[in-house]
Amino acid sequence: MLHRLESLESCNYNGMDVAVLERQAARLKWQQQNYVVQNNNLVELCASSMPQFQGLIGSNIGSGQMVQLKRPEVFLGSGDFQEFVNFPVAGAEFGDSEKLDLVPPEAAADYCISRTSSCQMTALNTSVMKEEREDMVLEKMESTTGSGRESFNKRKPEAVADHKGKNKRIKGEGESEVKTKCSTEISRNSSKENSKASEVQKLDYIHVRARRGQATDSHSLAERARREKISMKMKCLQDLVPGCNKITGKAGMLDEIINYVQSLQRQVEFLSMKIAALNSSVQFNVENLPMKEFPAYVANFPAAAKLPAMAGLPYFQLNPLQKESVNCMLNESILPAQTATEGIASASVSISEQSLSSSSMTQLQPFSTWNMDPQGSSSNLTVIFHSSSIVRVEYIRIWHLIRYTPDTDTS
Amino acid sequence: MNPSSLKSRFATRFLRALTQIHARKPICSSSPTEIFRRYRRIKAAADKSMAYSVRSRKTWTGAVLWKLRSRSCGRRSAKTSTFIKSQQAIMKRTRHEKQNKNTTTTTTTGEHGVGFGVEASELRELVPGGEAMDYCNLLDETAHYIKCLTTQVKVMKKIADFYSL
Repeated sequence: MLHRLESLESCNYNGMDVAVLERQAARLKWQQQNYVVQNNNLVELCASSMPQFQGLIGSNIGSGQMVQLKRPEVFLGSGDFQEFVNFPVAGAEFGDSEKLDLVPPEAAADYCISRTSSCQMTALNTSVMKEEREDMVLEKMESTTGSGRESFNKRKPEAVADHKGKNKRIKGEGESEVKTKCSTEISRNSSKENSKASEVQKLDYIHVRARRGQATDSHSLAERARREKISMKMKCLQDLVPGCNKITGKAGMLDEIINYVQSLQRQVEFLSMKIAALNSSVQFNVENLPMKEFPAYVANFPAAAKLPAMAGLPYFQLNPLQKESVNCMLNESILPAQTATEGIASASVSISEQSLSSSSMTQLQPFSTWNMDPQGSSSNLTVIFHSSSIVRVEYIRIWHLIRYTPDTDTS
Repeated sequence: MNPSSLKSRFATRFLRALTQIHARKPICSSSPTEIFRRYRRIKAAADKSMAYSVRSRKTWTGAVLWKLRSRSCGRRSAKTSTFIKSQQAIMKRTRHEKQNKNTTTTTTTGEHGVGFGVEASELRELVPGGEAMDYCNLLDETAHYIKCLTTQVKVMKKIADFYSL
């Protein structure tokens, strides 16, 4: 039986053959020997009406048993779809070979239905067909068939769409639900195992590989491509945002990203506030310092950059406590940045009120409050810039610091 | 370090802006209001220099510069015009999304609509110019914005440390 399955699968087909092939394979796998014989009989009944299959069937002959497949469309066209519903009843009872005789033309529908229902062996669960069951069936099938996976890919979206369309056209009774589910199932089955396929069968049309368990509409394909793009970008963002390796799921990732962006923005605010406060007494006199000259300056004054700068730096005396807190704040990550923002906010408020503000940090922070006393710091300032050369040296030193830090370059 | 990297470009521009700020208004008093004003200017200068330093055009850079310019021109007109502009952008985006919804299957878009609604709107508020973009581009902009923000923070940290020695 396995040989036959593989031979079925390995042949080229036209249109819906593979759907039938797959169903046939599923069916056959679950059947016993005598069952298969009966199946053959059934198929032979239908074979005459499908000349296209003759060639196919001829190539399908495997280990001696004629397995002839039937296009489901034939059954549909014949208006015997009602029997499709009845078939599950027969399909459920796998051990019962007699029932198969009752439903000759429904072999194809049976396959699609049995694909999902074979696991459960319940006839009328077709209305509850779900993808998980399909996957289960498929997995079981694959586990048993093993190597037959590759040839399960012979699916064309157009053919499937045709099948779907025909299915929908014929529905007239209450089986519409069954039909559509069958069709969607077929479409899903048809496009499954592509992710695991290693070989690509030659087909008449170019078609997109659909993933396992997904439909092959153009719309859903586009949607799927969009989703893949989004997931790729989320991965890039995951690399950018620190500490996101453990978090899985888009919602958590988005939260993390939002928090990180907020913290970065607050850090920028905080730093600009700090620069504003610290530079309040510095008098810059650097003019016309072109950008390109910075490296030249650095080259010319490597030693000079450091020594005089050390001597000539303005000396801002913050409270050691403040300094510590400020440095601690700067060195920490997201959560502290939030408290730093609170510090900024309260500091700005206090500044506007001209009162010494002791912004109380949250209990997360071990260090003490950040007292920003601009008036006090100004009194402690010793402004030392006198000549442009010193200022230039200043800038060179800054440039030096920025340039030669071991940070990763973010160009 | 690459002399033409984002970091170096931003650093030079920002330092130049700092000198201009200090040159324009020499330190007369370090009252809190003064410092606050200075802080606003420095922050604007930082954002502006960052926006100018990027090589490739991004939506958020244009949005930042536009905001800064409109703010400098006139507060009231800036507010209304920004409001109008954002509203128009949102309308455009929702129209675009509706079109997409009609063409795509309901299940998938439904998931997307529900799942990403809240966080996406938050992200749009955070990233400048984020209202007018669809979700894919929003993620791109966010990535670039995060990169630039980290550069900015690093450079400003160095400068602040330098001055706090």
